[in-house]
Amino acid sequence: MTDAIRTDALGKTYPTGTVAVKDVTLTVRPGEIFGFLGPNGAGKTTTISMLTTVLRPTSGRAEVDGIDVARYPGRVRRRIGLVFQRSTADEVLTGRENLEVAAGLYGLSPAEARPRIRELLDHLDLGDAADRRVRGYSGGMRRRLEIAAGIVHSPRILFLDEPTLGLDPQGRAEFWEFVRDLRRRQELTVFLTTHYLDEADRLADRISIIDHGQLLTTGTPGELKDRLGGDLLVVRPARAGDGIVRVLESIPGIANVDPPAPDGAYRMHVARGESMVPSVVRACDAAGIELATVSARSPSLDDVFLTMTGREYRENADALENGHTHSP
Amino acid sequence: MYREFVTVLRREYLRWVRVPIWVASYFVVPILYLVLFGQAFNLNNLFPTGPAGEFYVRQALLGAPNYFSYFAVGMAAFVTLTATLYAGTGILFDKQLGIHQRTVATPAPRTALFAGSLTFRAFMAAWPAFLSLGVAVLFLRVPGLVGLSVRSSVSALGLGEVLLAEALLALMFTAVFLSFGYLLDSNEAYFGITSLLNLPILFTSNAMFPQSTMPAWLQNVTAYNPASLAVNVMRENLFNTSGYPYPPGIYLLGLFAWAAALIGIALYLSARALRVP
Ligand SMILES: Nc1ncnc2c1ncn2[C@@H]1O[C@H](COP(=O)(O)OP(=O)(O)OP(=O)(O)O)[C@@H](O)[C@H]1O
Ligand SMILES: [Mg+2]
Repeated sequence: MTDAIRTDALGKTYPTGTVAVKDVTLTVRPGEIFGFLGPNGAGKTTTISMLTTVLRPTSGRAEVDGIDVARYPGRVRRRIGLVFQRSTADEVLTGRENLEVAAGLYGLSPAEARPRIRELLDHLDLGDAADRRVRGYSGGMRRRLEIAAGIVHSPRILFLDEPTLGLDPQGRAEFWEFVRDLRRRQELTVFLTTHYLDEADRLADRISIIDHGQLLTTGTPGELKDRLGGDLLVVRPARAGDGIVRVLESIPGIANVDPPAPDGAYRMHVARGESMVPSVVRACDAAGIELATVSARSPSLDDVFLTMTGREYRENADALENGHTHSP
Repeated sequence: MYREFVTVLRREYLRWVRVPIWVASYFVVPILYLVLFGQAFNLNNLFPTGPAGEFYVRQALLGAPNYFSYFAVGMAAFVTLTATLYAGTGILFDKQLGIHQRTVATPAPRTALFAGSLTFRAFMAAWPAFLSLGVAVLFLRVPGLVGLSVRSSVSALGLGEVLLAEALLALMFTAVFLSFGYLLDSNEAYFGITSLLNLPILFTSNAMFPQSTMPAWLQNVTAYNPASLAVNVMRENLFNTSGYPYPPGIYLLGLFAWAAALIGIALYLSARALRVP
């Protein structure tokens, strides 16, 4: 079976000299939801633009559904759907008319388009607003209309550039459900970029992390976290006191205990967190240390990003949400 | 190709009908221009009355029965020019609103997109010219107004030539302003250019004033101005004219040449604007 997407050392240097994407090699399998995660300015839009033929690569190559994007852009365009980071709807047209225009530009006849559009409008909860002008739509309705326009021609591969940017948490959760549902209903590969860690974690089957134009790592969210080695164990004593560090470090399997966090909790990397909990409880009991809580959790993608770049991911994301504007 | 073309036509049409003031302007502008300019600038009143005056008028106007009739035909060309001034704004706004980006990402043939915009905008520039001519004829029946008197024996071929001249003029002016839409990104630059071109195109033509009243250098420019060529075709067919150096067919050839060149440039610029960077 052909890979849905395959890139080989794909790169883009803008005429300004900015190296936006450098030697990106990745494979996306048919039917998967692939997350392309990276902070502001990482090169997500540049990469998705090359894959969708709206930007020419300056090095390397990319194939979408087995077709070279640089050589046969027309054939690629017919097979893919594209949802942009910014709205592309025509404000004075109704939602339905916007979809009719989108369908027409993909060469669908009105007879083919009409039932498909009705189905999409219903499915996306836009049925009631279908014949109102887009000017009066809410942010969430616009996003859904964008998605409908991106899949009106039933593409095999759907590209989404930061599809949930600007949606509230509930809107984002609804959107994730919608994407999963879409994939259940039809044979569809989804390639989406996001700067939300939780989105990549919860929605994507596999993810790549990109930073400063370079691919850091690729895998399932679970694999990426596993590569960090095990779990994070969090132990909070009932009262402050430094005797606990010695006790914890004497337990086989615990090597290094970080200084306590402001809430008094000690964190440590361990191979298998759940199975360490009884040992910790026994050892502390024996040493007469009273515990408030003991918990084990898997590392988050935050931890993955931190380990790979030495920077907190969160800072970037916060910068993004506070007044970040995007140019096309 | 055909479906994409029709889609562009339909979208342009919907965008137009959704803006009532825009729709109204297409009806009001030609009529207003005729009423205000036409009746105010009636140069007839400057000529001496009586048979000698009338002879003089006919000679200066190359056979048009009176100045208003002469002017009303020129006005058709001016109405077309005015209607095309905004032809490029659709493209400009599409670029600014991200709609252009979506269009680029579709497999729609680029020529279909261009042809759709050109056809719709040219049609929208041509019909108000005929509306304007029709209203000018109706003025004959309004007491107190001068109207457009055409000769009683206008042939079907003649009408066909009038239609063709008007269509070519609408197509080429549309192509010019579409070109600026493809070429530019800023609204200010676009409107700067349209206001720069608008009146010079009008005043270097014989749409409003007879060529014979102009200085020699201007007469040379005027002779090649496509608005003059179109107006010549129309006047030669609508009036009992005399004194035109060429028959309408020659002016039509000139119009074809202009249209081919200007549409060619616009097509090239549209392909360039839709090209992937
Ligand atoms: N047209 C352009 N010309 C020059 N440089 C550009 C252009 N577009 C993007 N860049 C630069 O390329 C880099 C990657 O930009 P890109 O838009 O791909 O990032 P992104 O991951 O999509 O970021 P965001 O989260 O802000 O959308 C940035 O440094 C950006 O400034
Ligand atoms: Mg982006």
